[in-house]
Amino acid sequence: MSFEEQILMELKAEITDRAERRRRTVRRLYTGAGVAGLAAAAALAVPVLTGSEQPAYAVTQNTDGTISVTLNEFRDADKLEQDLKKMGVTTDITYLGPGKVCQGNRGEVIGGGSPEEWKNSASDKAASLQLSGLKIDPRQVGKGQTLVMAFSENRGPAQSDKPEVKWQFSAYVVKGQVKPCVMVDNPLSDDVDGPGQPPAGN
Amino acid sequence: MRLKQAEIATDHVAFEAFYRRHVDAVTRFLARRVDDPHTVADLVAEVFMAVLDSAHTYRPELGSELAWLYGVARKTLSTERRRAFKESRLQNRVNGRRVLDTDDVARLEERIDAERAARRLLKAMSDLPESGRAVLELVVIDQLTVAEAAMALGIRTGTAKVRLHRARRMLKELPFVMEGTPG
Repeated sequence: MSFEEQILMELKAEITDRAERRRRTVRRLYTGAGVAGLAAAAALAVPVLTGSEQPAYAVTQNTDGTISVTLNEFRDADKLEQDLKKMGVTTDITYLGPGKVCQGNRGEVIGGGSPEEWKNSASDKAASLQLSGLKIDPRQVGKGQTLVMAFSENRGPAQSDKPEVKWQFSAYVVKGQVKPCVMVDNPLSDDVDGPGQPPAGN
Repeated sequence: MRLKQAEIATDHVAFEAFYRRHVDAVTRFLARRVDDPHTVADLVAEVFMAVLDSAHTYRPELGSELAWLYGVARKTLSTERRRAFKESRLQNRVNGRRVLDTDDVARLEERIDAERAARRLLKAMSDLPESGRAVLELVVIDQLTVAEAAMALGIRTGTAKVRLHRARRMLKELPFVMEGTPG
């Protein structure tokens, strides 16, 4: 393929991405979290509200060495990755559309063998959900390893100021190369709590 | 017409048509100013990325698509020069360089070579004050009309005419340009 065709292809992908980002920016996420544990994927519901312009996320270094990430909107994943990189943790962050997941595991998952192996593994401990968003522990992500995180909104009406939109979150640590996300429909998408329910433990 | 222009940033078909219409002209525009094939290819990508950013600024009543596009290309080029190509916003790069196959490199080198005379001329003009040089560049080197050059630079046609006149007068005092196009 000539470079002109290659550039055209990349630009078309960019147009698609932008359309997707615009669509998503309409919804603003207000974070508040409860956790429903699935082996590698934790699903939760958060209220959403349309509010004033604010940054997509905020990153804070905690004194105990962990990093807190407050997510306001699902955008600027690349920038968040860069910010986290500067703070010493390699991440791969994907924001997916409603009802989508990345297909399968995207590399050699640490603790991915069995539920027992998962418990207390680096993958289990590297990222946890908090009231304010996420807490990341860089010490769980070793050299040559990547904390792979994917977020997806669930379907359902997004009304301006009602706690309505749920999102799903998955995180695990991959050793070595991380494969790109192949987006597929998530069979569990609408199967958590039912639309509009407050999150478990909230 | 306005609607059609907004579409180039959102509609694949409209964008592809726009891209194919102008990709050669943009490549040549850049080959006149940059002599490295990889950088030219990167800049082509960046210019069209900038088109996506600023498609809404195009006003058809003010002039041709190409003039507007050259304006975008100029801005992209000066931005890129400032940040010295640290990163491209598009993928497909290795070690900070766009991946080009040998055919691409050869074709780009040909273009760069073909524009050698223009590059020398641009260099000769580099001592002129920026305002006049910008108009002169677009008219003499890039073959835009004065009105189009004005559009590309976001200035009034009258202003462009005055600046062009002044720049030409200054050029006459530079002997090497009077001898004709070097190269």
